[in-house]
Amino acid sequence: MPEKIDIGVHHITRVEGHGTIVVRATAGKVEQVEWQVPEAPRFFEAMVRGRSWEEIQTVVSRVCGICSVTHSLAALKAIEDAMDIPVSEQTERLRLLGLNGEYIESHVLHVGYLVAPDLLGVKSVVPLVATNPDLVKLVVRLHRLGNTIMEVIGGRRTHPLAFKPGGMRRIPTERELRSLRAAIEGALPDLQVLAEAVHGLAGKIPAFERDTEYVSLVDRGTYTLYYGNIGSSDTTNTVAVQKFKSIVNEYVSPQSTAKWARWHRESYMVGALARFNLNAGYLLPMAAEMARYLGLARGCCNPYMNSVAQVVETVQAFEHSLQLIDELLTAGLQPETARVIPRSGWGAGAVEAPRGILFHSYAFDDDGTCIGANLTIPTNQNHANIQKDMEKLVPQFLSRGQDELRQLLEMLVRAYDPCISCSTHMLDVRFV
Amino acid sequence: MCVLSDTVIIGIGNPLCGDDGVGIALLEALEGRVDADLVDAGTSAMQVVHALAGRHRAILLDCARMGLPFGTLRRFTPEEVANGTSLPRLSLHEGDLLAFLALARNLGAAPEEIILFGIEPASLEPAMHLSSILVAQMGDYLTAIIAEAKAPFHSI
Repeated sequence: MPEKIDIGVHHITRVEGHGTIVVRATAGKVEQVEWQVPEAPRFFEAMVRGRSWEEIQTVVSRVCGICSVTHSLAALKAIEDAMDIPVSEQTERLRLLGLNGEYIESHVLHVGYLVAPDLLGVKSVVPLVATNPDLVKLVVRLHRLGNTIMEVIGGRRTHPLAFKPGGMRRIPTERELRSLRAAIEGALPDLQVLAEAVHGLAGKIPAFERDTEYVSLVDRGTYTLYYGNIGSSDTTNTVAVQKFKSIVNEYVSPQSTAKWARWHRESYMVGALARFNLNAGYLLPMAAEMARYLGLARGCCNPYMNSVAQVVETVQAFEHSLQLIDELLTAGLQPETARVIPRSGWGAGAVEAPRGILFHSYAFDDDGTCIGANLTIPTNQNHANIQKDMEKLVPQFLSRGQDELRQLLEMLVRAYDPCISCSTHMLDVRFV
Repeated sequence: MCVLSDTVIIGIGNPLCGDDGVGIALLEALEGRVDADLVDAGTSAMQVVHALAGRHRAILLDCARMGLPFGTLRRFTPEEVANGTSLPRLSLHEGDLLAFLALARNLGAAPEEIILFGIEPASLEPAMHLSSILVAQMGDYLTAIIAEAKAPFHSI
């Protein structure tokens, strides 16, 4: 047992808004284990107040460069809920297709860019180009495919413009959809190679389990990312999205300026593993087969396996996209002509972001001006659970020594695929 | 199949965060004024990797903390700078542009010429507009960027 453990990554992170891991132990006795994280920016809520119902989704799509479709869709659902706006089946299929594009992009990038270097023993993806060039090229290709889906559906590669309350500003052509279908089908072999790479590294995933409450959308019969109520692994009862505050139950922790969340226990987890644990029975055939191949079974409570669940969901996104395109083509593309008359009201929307369930709610006055907003992001819901994982993990792995323990803790945070500092993206340089 | 221009101009940043959005504001102002593809990468650095592929020249526009007076525009290449911070690599949202440029280069998917225009921010407070210091210099920024886009290749 090492005499002294002193982990504090704060000194290497001078970037505002980032999380800090602090662990102190002496002679095998753990003295401090803290996941310290600042409040994720809430100023976007103030920014949409006073804006028209028609511009909100465009503004909130800029909240996050990785989850721009999810933020747009959560806003649209909340606006449509507030004003009772009907949405066509075609629009919803197109939204889901865009969402699948975002899942492919985000999951592939997370697994390839942040997780694979850990499992392959290198510091980042940059040196991985020398050691595993084919894997990196594969990640770039698959990410580009997700990009293409978003471009065809959302009208641009990121921060979509085509979505609007009650419909679409533009719909893709039949030719574009056929071409997209061919691109997705053509990338299936790449997906298999990615799965084989992950399968080959499965033995390096840390063996750590903690009984956890998992929370995600649930909708009988589907592996839902968009429809349904809020479900928990602790109960068969579900909660309507409009009552999301009753499940989030934000509370203050002394070590963090970010509010934490709890439902039935002290904490819960959202994200790919939560969705898998609640909805695995509804995966499409290829995705279900991938879960079996990768050894992921319902009831898994190893948070590091969240990345494996992301690979399974990437397959699901491929399969679901092909299905959606076929449905759109079979039904025939129709112009979206619905006109919306704004009105006062309050509404909420939930969408599963790649990193967990995202809630938006808005209130509007009579002419559709936003008078109140709330954005509850998945990472804030996960912070308490990261803390509880660390509290169990540190004593279990203390004997491994400081460096290995730090690596395990950083890998744990990465496994949650957090959205820690997504607001500003400024370069910070010194001239050499 | 669309044809790529030899030159791509990529705007980076978040228009909700004051001067952090200067790259996007410049990109919008360049519409129709340069013979180049314009790409809004937002805050997603991986978009930059895709946008670089198949080009001869890339011009990147980004807010940059360089230790210079507010509003200063400086032209530099990736080789002339190093990261001023060490990112903890805990999240995909860290958006380490220099690392992604290195990745593109190592993959052999980057143009020979990569030019960055960094603009020193005056304010990063939440706002959907630039600070008055930057607004006053937008014309000068655009002149410099347009001149760069028109210059012959290999002008580094």
